[in-house]
Amino acid sequence: MAPPRGEVLQGTLDLIVLQTLHAMGPLHGYGIAQRVQQVSGDLLKLNQGTLYPALLRLEQRGWISSKWGASENNRKAKYYSLTRAGRKQLLAETESWERMTALMSRLLGGTEGA
Amino acid sequence: MERLRIFSARLRGLFRRRQLDGDLDAELSAHLEMLTEENIRRGMSPAEARYATRREFGGVEQAKQLYREQRSMQLFDALLEDLRFALRGLGKRPGFALVAILTLALGIGSTTAVFSVVDRILFRSLPYPQDDRLVSFGDRAPFEANEFVLGPDYVDWQKAQTPFESVTSFVPGGADCDLTEQNPVRLKCALVESTFLPTFGMQPFLGRNFTSDEDRPNAARVALVSYGLWRSRFASDRNLPGRAISLDGRPTVVVGVLPAQFEMPNLGRDDILVPAALDGSTDRGPNARPVILRVFARLKPGITIKQAAAAMEPLFQQSLNYVPPQFRHEVSFRVRSLRDRQIQDARVASWVLLGAVLAVLLVACTNVANLFLARATSRARELAVRTAIGASRGRLVRQALTESLLLGALGGLVGCWLAQLLLRLFVSIAPEGIPRLEQATIDLRVLLFALGISLLSGMLFGLASALRRPAPELLTGKENHGRSRGLLRQLLVTVQIAVSLILLAGAGLLLGSLWKLETVALGMDATRVITAGIDLAEYRYPDALKQLAFFNQLEARLKHMPGVTWLALSDTLPPAGGMQATFLSAIEIPGHAKFNTGTGGMISYRYVTPAYFSALSIPIRRGLGFREEDRSPAERPVILSEALAKKLFSDGEDPLGKSFRFGSQNDWRTIVGIAGDVKNNGLAAPADPEFYIPWKNETAGHFRSAHLIVQSAIHPEAVARWIRSETAAIDPTVPVTIEGLTTRVGKLAERPRFTAVLLSLFAGMGVLLAGIGIYGVVAFLVAEQTREIGIRIALGATPRTVLRMVFSNMVRWTVAGAALGLLGAWLSAGLLKSLLFEVRAHDPFLLGSALFVLLAVAFFAAWIPARRAIQVDPMIALRYE
Repeated sequence: MAPPRGEVLQGTLDLIVLQTLHAMGPLHGYGIAQRVQQVSGDLLKLNQGTLYPALLRLEQRGWISSKWGASENNRKAKYYSLTRAGRKQLLAETESWERMTALMSRLLGGTEGA
Repeated sequence: MERLRIFSARLRGLFRRRQLDGDLDAELSAHLEMLTEENIRRGMSPAEARYATRREFGGVEQAKQLYREQRSMQLFDALLEDLRFALRGLGKRPGFALVAILTLALGIGSTTAVFSVVDRILFRSLPYPQDDRLVSFGDRAPFEANEFVLGPDYVDWQKAQTPFESVTSFVPGGADCDLTEQNPVRLKCALVESTFLPTFGMQPFLGRNFTSDEDRPNAARVALVSYGLWRSRFASDRNLPGRAISLDGRPTVVVGVLPAQFEMPNLGRDDILVPAALDGSTDRGPNARPVILRVFARLKPGITIKQAAAAMEPLFQQSLNYVPPQFRHEVSFRVRSLRDRQIQDARVASWVLLGAVLAVLLVACTNVANLFLARATSRARELAVRTAIGASRGRLVRQALTESLLLGALGGLVGCWLAQLLLRLFVSIAPEGIPRLEQATIDLRVLLFALGISLLSGMLFGLASALRRPAPELLTGKENHGRSRGLLRQLLVTVQIAVSLILLAGAGLLLGSLWKLETVALGMDATRVITAGIDLAEYRYPDALKQLAFFNQLEARLKHMPGVTWLALSDTLPPAGGMQATFLSAIEIPGHAKFNTGTGGMISYRYVTPAYFSALSIPIRRGLGFREEDRSPAERPVILSEALAKKLFSDGEDPLGKSFRFGSQNDWRTIVGIAGDVKNNGLAAPADPEFYIPWKNETAGHFRSAHLIVQSAIHPEAVARWIRSETAAIDPTVPVTIEGLTTRVGKLAERPRFTAVLLSLFAGMGVLLAGIGIYGVVAFLVAEQTREIGIRIALGATPRTVLRMVFSNMVRWTVAGAALGLLGAWLSAGLLKSLLFEVRAHDPFLLGSALFVLLAVAFFAAWIPARRAIQVDPMIALRYE
């Protein structure tokens, strides 16, 4: 069953979170959500709540770590940052993602050309 | 690796649930606040901002739930929840839970306990390597339970045999022997060959076995001591081998210590093994020393017992040529496995008990199945509701499984305890001579097996209902009729009734037989009679003269006790057997042809003092008893039992005054009287013919052990004390065993009592469980038909018609079950035949009583819920649900 348009595949969300943390450094959940929204515009419809189980999943796998800190306006917030394993994972995922998209575009391009 | 990490993270999550929940709350609320602030900053009113926040964030609770699921071990959580739910469900119906747990416990407990006992007897391997190749073989004769081999035959056979890897023997009746160092003790010594240990595949734990050189006549004396003796008497001294001990006053070198698990093949408790020192003589002449041996052998690999018997048969036939002709027809050759020899008649009883307990397990299983079926039916609506509000099928199945597992665990726990209790009961009421009973412990495998079986039956039926798609129509409040399952339940009860009836009938037969046995006419009066068994040590009383002197002195001292009515001495006591005996064919009466078609069987005899007959109230039917003068060596009277008199003087001739001679004795005796028959060889066997010879003041003979028989009106304790003190006054080292004769007689019925009591216990359990089953089914039917009954009553049905309606159903399957059960009881009664005494296996009275008991229980079990049916208030019944 194909996911409805605009909804986020689990694996994709993981990749987005990892990439965000890679690009922005340690961030709290709200920050990540804002960033994702900002980058994707309206292309992705993300229920911000679903971010938290994803964060937990990534943390359980050891790709990100978390610790409590203070936010910009001095509120207690949990900050997530990429671990070494996470960096490696991001690299691997990016690579396979690129391979995949290259394959897809060649495949689709080829079909159009015929 | 990654999986492990997730697992451990989840595991940690499990234990820090509360703190983590708090963290999550804090994190989410921070997020929400920041989001709201942002929205306000964009110019929304606070209310609008909060609303927008909710929209953007999505469901907070959903997010938390997802988060928790990710965090925790979902299965475990669900299991906990299921468990909680199951416990709550059971708590709500304590009756169901109690009955289910009790049923499971009864089934599991009794099966485990009985199996733990019979396993040792029937199945567990004997403590010898490759025990399945060990056999016992020899001549089989009507006068002896175990096979034996005559000395000369043994020498011949050992040389010529082919089927055995090795053959060995021991001399039966392992003698008492005395360890005559400081603190002398009476021990049991067995005379074995040097090939004994190797044949059984055993090695001494310390030291060595004796050599064949040491196993020769007149060799230096050596011995092997048992592990138990080594520990208790020699303080586990590892240097014991090589040391000399004093055995029966003669120095004997201990060469080795037997291993702890060593067991004599006849299960005797021997403390010391000494060389048999057989002379290997094949002299069969009249002056040869008669040697009788118990022979054991290890089969060559691949040879069966049958093949071995066939291979030995020619040797046996050859040996028959040397045997007196009257023997030949009665003696046959037998090879049997060591296990068969050891368990003897415990086999039938063991199988009967095993069968009985499996029947109880079957009844218990059907009960559990029935309970679960009933529960499932009554919960059909609940299941429908749960399905309607979104429970998945898997979840319902899991719930059903959790419940049965919970019940099973509880039942198993109680069953464990019950098994322990029953096992202790068995051991405490078990008679002597049930092999290996003291080694019986709760067998874990059996416990698990019984638990598994009963759980499986519960689960099977619990699942059956959970797997059926719950019909949404159930929610309409209309009655549902689980007709097909109703039929299944009734079928189960039918089976229960049948099995219980078989059990009851079997128990009835054994109890009837026990009753006959306990009230059997002994031919004597055992009340107010006290007996004292006295054994003289060989080394202190080496000859008949000294032995008789001791007993005469004791008799003289005891005679003067006030309150003693009669005091007698005898070498043996009825009814336990163990008398000296001769063949009928060895008895001579002048003018009578000697009995010469076979041996004629064994004729027992005892030495008694004149008061023997009075002390035991044995009537002298004709002629006279013995007089004191008869004890002088010059007098040679004999008294026959009625049975023997009939045998010897079948043509109505008067036996009194006739001459009589037996065995190898040269002197003729005169028959002076005929005594009443006395049960003398166990309770179940008919009275053996016997004769009495006066306890003599003669030097020939053997009087090492004797029994004092005291009939007295005063307190037995006082008599016992007095016998002890008088014996000790003559020789304080002489051991005395004092017992009431009634107790002695009672002991003979111990084994049948054991079997009967156990079988009755199981029959009782079976009936109880069947009663519970019937009760359950009827109660269920009544509950299900409450509305129908209400309508009927409202329309004018009388209590009688309502009762008829409820009962007609029950009667149908009770009758079907009873018919099946009668058939089964009839067929299985044949199996009990060998355990019965004076009771016919197909006794119609006993069978009828069993049937009556069962029907009565069935009726009462149905009556209780049926009464509820006639008390149904139509108004309430119609509003029901």
